[in-house]
Amino acid sequence: MRLRPFLLKIIDHRVTPYVIVGVIALFMAAPFLWMTLSAFKTLQETFMSPPTYFPKDFTLETMAFTWFQAPIPTYLKNSLIVCLTATLIIVVASIFTAYALSQYPYRGSNIILGLFLFTRTIPPLAMLLPYYLIMRKLGLLNTRLSVILYLIYLSYPLVVWLLKGFFDAFPRDLIDAAIVDGCSRTGTIFRVVLPITAGSVGAISVVAFLWAWNEFFAPYLFIHYDELKPITVGLYYFVGDEVTYWNRMCAAGIYAVVPSLAFFLIAQRYIIKGLTEGALKY
Amino acid sequence: MVKAGGSSVGESTRPRSGALQSVRGWALVRSALGKTGTLSNANYGMLLSIPGLILLLAWVLLPLFIVIGLSFYRYDNVSPVRFIGLLNYQEVFSNPDFPKILLRTFEFSFGSTALSLFTSVVVAACLNRIGSGSAVFRSLVVMPWAVPLILSGFLWAWMFHPSFGPISDLLLRSGLRDTALNIYEDPISSMVGVIIADAWRRIPFLAIITLAAFQAIDQELYDAARVDGADSIDTFMYITLPLGSRPILIGTLITLMFTFRSIDVIYSMTPGGGYAKSTYVMGAYLFDNLYEFLNFGAAAAISVILILLTFVIGSLFIYYTLKRQ
Repeated sequence: MRLRPFLLKIIDHRVTPYVIVGVIALFMAAPFLWMTLSAFKTLQETFMSPPTYFPKDFTLETMAFTWFQAPIPTYLKNSLIVCLTATLIIVVASIFTAYALSQYPYRGSNIILGLFLFTRTIPPLAMLLPYYLIMRKLGLLNTRLSVILYLIYLSYPLVVWLLKGFFDAFPRDLIDAAIVDGCSRTGTIFRVVLPITAGSVGAISVVAFLWAWNEFFAPYLFIHYDELKPITVGLYYFVGDEVTYWNRMCAAGIYAVVPSLAFFLIAQRYIIKGLTEGALKY
Repeated sequence: MVKAGGSSVGESTRPRSGALQSVRGWALVRSALGKTGTLSNANYGMLLSIPGLILLLAWVLLPLFIVIGLSFYRYDNVSPVRFIGLLNYQEVFSNPDFPKILLRTFEFSFGSTALSLFTSVVVAACLNRIGSGSAVFRSLVVMPWAVPLILSGFLWAWMFHPSFGPISDLLLRSGLRDTALNIYEDPISSMVGVIIADAWRRIPFLAIITLAAFQAIDQELYDAARVDGADSIDTFMYITLPLGSRPILIGTLITLMFTFRSIDVIYSMTPGGGYAKSTYVMGAYLFDNLYEFLNFGAAAAISVILILLTFVIGSLFIYYTLKRQ
């Protein structure tokens, strides 16, 4: 048992958690660092062995090229249009369903709740084929609409489930008080429930947005015109037959991450709070 | 004259009754939405969730039935579409590589989930003890969540490059290895590589859940245990882990489902399945049939198999989620 006191000495030391978290944080930050540093290298420098860490010939040309010569702004615009539209539709549709399932249960509403939960277990990959065929039938291939429709499928069940968790936790007294004061049931949603849960609803919207931003295979399958591709598919612009333009890929990666990271960091406090409340409900 | 009169009567009454009906229907909707509230709460709930239910039916259940139905058809984009019963399944199961594909799928999903879980528990336990500066560390740890998986694959692919990547270089410089590390020339290290790249993107979600679970534990329990002579290992094993286990379990099951079906990282990091198809998992097999071979029937059959396999994990997730409620 001499090992245990020794272990305890290490574990209980004041510095230990900082060291461990520091190492893990470095692991989590490493790809960001590598991406940022590489975006300012020349193509020759990215093919140097051993590799350089800080750009030897610091150049802004790569960042400029990807923005002005490559269709990155178009890709970003497509991603923003598609993701924002899908998120808006999902959240608006989910609010009422989740609220009804949470506050006004009816015969069979538990089965419907179970159905939503079951839906979350369906692999999106398995739904690519039916969606592809539906889009082809509707003549929607090579439109942004096809991706929007698919994204609605992707995160709608999750959003309903998360929102239901929030509405469950909402103090019932406030709703009853509003109704006693003469507010209609629907009016209560808009005047009492939504203003108070706005932060959480916003956080869930950001989660849905991030899911949409991350999606690759559906647009990869549905869209073949460069001017309609979202940024995730657009990254393949820099993968050539002979060579991958790593520096340009990294620059494009920065442009791809900046919007989602911005949304995420702004809403981070709410997302963590929201997921936390959801998690503790389990 | 009579005819004209008759028709004029018909014209004059029909719109009126139609208008009346729509007024009555409108009154019903109004009473449901308005203050008068003639609808019972249960009916109100039903009315309110109708749009969402239509969305669920049209967006999820309809495609689900389509893919199940298609799996019984020959649909290879060459010969005419025809019902062939279970032949697609037979084709998939008789593929000599199928057991290996299945095994790799489990290796990948369990590997990535295990790495994410371990890292998350360690991070959460440490952050729980750090007072000042924990917000900065937390932000750093959850940042990869904003990175698309496909980009994660590209970045790690390059970081693992034997000659131009930093990982091999750092190992050489530190003297841990004599030769360049080439994960793309060995089946096991290829798998480890994609697992690391995938877990990197999975850790944030699980870490947040785990940290929340740990922080919800009553501090007095620790104080009481300390008084009774428990040390840090005891309190972690007998207080932190057991009391935090439920949210962690749910979070782990969600991560497991995600990794089981996700191939973004594999697709961008080791295109075509990598060295000796060492990272060729079910999802990749599905996507190849769909995108490369255009054999939609087989793709549908693999989809159904993937749905059923994920449902095994998913049923545990549903069970533990509903159990508490």
